[in-house]
Amino acid sequence: MGNVVVVGAGIAGIQAALDIAAHGIPVHLIEREPTIGGHMAMLDKTFPTNDCSMCILSPKMVDVARHPDITIHTCSEVEKIAGGIGHFRVTIKKHPRYIDESTCTGCGDCILVCPVEVYNHFDAGIGVRKAIYKPHSQAVPDIVIKDPDHCIECGLCYDVCGPGSVKREDSEQELVLDAASIVLSTGYSVFDAQKKPQFGHLSLPDVVTSLELERMINASGPTGGKIRRMSTGKTPESIVFIQCVGSRDMPLGRPYCSCVCCMQAIKNAILIKEKNPAMDVTICYMDIRSYGKGYEEYYERAKALGIRFLRGMPSDILADKNGLILQVENSETSEILMMHPELVVLSVGMGPAESLPDLARRFGIALEETGFVRTMHDALDTTSTLRPGIYVAGTAVAPKDIPDSVASGESAAMRAFRDAFRLRSA
Amino acid sequence: MARTKGYPEALEKKLHDQRYYREDSNPEFTTKVKGISRTIAHMCYQCGTCTGSCPSAPRSTYRIRNFMRRAVLGLENEALTDPDLWLCTTCYSCTDRCPRDIAPTDVIMAMRNLAFKRDIIPVNFLKTVTAIYSSGHGVPNNDVNRAAREKLGLTRDPPTTHMYPEYLPAIRKIIDHYKLKANADRIIKEREG
Ligand code: SF4
Ligand code: SF4
Repeated sequence: MGNVVVVGAGIAGIQAALDIAAHGIPVHLIEREPTIGGHMAMLDKTFPTNDCSMCILSPKMVDVARHPDITIHTCSEVEKIAGGIGHFRVTIKKHPRYIDESTCTGCGDCILVCPVEVYNHFDAGIGVRKAIYKPHSQAVPDIVIKDPDHCIECGLCYDVCGPGSVKREDSEQELVLDAASIVLSTGYSVFDAQKKPQFGHLSLPDVVTSLELERMINASGPTGGKIRRMSTGKTPESIVFIQCVGSRDMPLGRPYCSCVCCMQAIKNAILIKEKNPAMDVTICYMDIRSYGKGYEEYYERAKALGIRFLRGMPSDILADKNGLILQVENSETSEILMMHPELVVLSVGMGPAESLPDLARRFGIALEETGFVRTMHDALDTTSTLRPGIYVAGTAVAPKDIPDSVASGESAAMRAFRDAFRLRSA
Repeated sequence: MARTKGYPEALEKKLHDQRYYREDSNPEFTTKVKGISRTIAHMCYQCGTCTGSCPSAPRSTYRIRNFMRRAVLGLENEALTDPDLWLCTTCYSCTDRCPRDIAPTDVIMAMRNLAFKRDIIPVNFLKTVTAIYSSGHGVPNNDVNRAAREKLGLTRDPPTTHMYPEYLPAIRKIIDHYKLKANADRIIKEREG
């Protein structure tokens, strides 16, 4: 039987799984996190349509959950791969969830009684969750997970759970899956802004990253969609975005452009300006790369709204008792500006997923010098890895925005389907 | 070359030159700056991070980014005759921060070298040469400093040519080898009589 294994359930992996399953090919969708959805589930709106990210992603997540030919394996990672094209054997390690997946109804009674609060990875560290939790309200599968590292064994959840789904003991499980072909869609990692210490992320409270901002302006995020200064909890009167943080940077060994940060900053600037017309919003950039369909028009719209595009980069963020200080040269006029914004947003770039080197070794595929997956040809074959039968989609190949990730998920699906189909007809 | 669209000849010449078409551009200047500075000025993408880090910028019209542009475009005269060339403090902040791994400070030093070859140099820089020639120090010790040093429990003079004047001739030999003192004296005399 020709199965396909899709590793990584962000938007690219979800799209690939749906397309393959639409041909009647059984798909196993492997996800490390307790929910599918990837980074896209964390975002507020998406450019250039200003669609709510979750509103367009969630129906696809539900389609995946309901599809008779798709099996979701959350909290799971690939341990090893044997065989070759047409007859792969993929060993999966499933981490314990401490929940009976078949009986949990996702009602959330346990979450209400849990007394422990910890930082929520899903909120990029600015919000909290319980020790028994759902990463977010639209999690798929719609069940909870218990975090044994923070659980204090108070026992409240065991008592409150109607179906008795909360487990005291749980263990790692191993699963071996047959696959005709494999799609790798493991996504990206967000640049750690602390690697640019001159910008003071996590030492200056009013310096946040673009992902933290996304969670803040998201209506279902930790601040209920209100933009806040971390120092005072008040709404800032002025914001400066700094572009290319961790992108196009030779000393950091990250020479590539991250493709999304310009548009993401423009999008967030528009959303903020529309809600707070009096707020002073500036984007410090070196080049605005608004290259996609409808993107340049979007950029023009931002300018018309009164968002200031300042061509020049600060080299650091200083602070005194009056607040932040940024020295910037307007490179179009040579004028020096001393700016004192109340909030600074670092537009952090994309890098290869931290787990990628290890995965590449297990998969027997090659990586590029940048750490992203090497494909057969950078122009003509961007989905085949160097190992036949293993395809790659989304930001595992290179930084990509959502439309491009979806397209590459579709194209990897076509390749993976071909292998599975050949096996079935043989 | 076939004439296109009836452009005037001069414009056509400009358009044909893919490199850069300002009349005063000298490609050799770019090469020379690169040779002396040993840095990759042509990789500059004009982000302005260097000016963002520069302590001289908010206090003057000096813009290091602008000099990087001149290095790339070969604008020799514009770079070497701009008095701002001498406002770099050589703090190396820009070199630390440039995302292209360029050393803008070294580009400035290379340009100063080239300017000096054309006798373009402010007199105070030449007086530094004279000071080093006579004392081994750009800023020689003085009585105020000596008193301060004594208070801190240090020797009145630092363990340099001030304490060991017998090493001065060697320093002078190096300076003389490059005719630095002779040129400095000549230019100071020309300017100050
Ligand atoms: S920081 Fe580097 S790349 Fe940017 S303008 Fe200065 S020299 Fe050029
Ligand atoms: S080395 Fe010169 S140009 Fe560079 S930051 Fe310091 S003063 Fe400015």
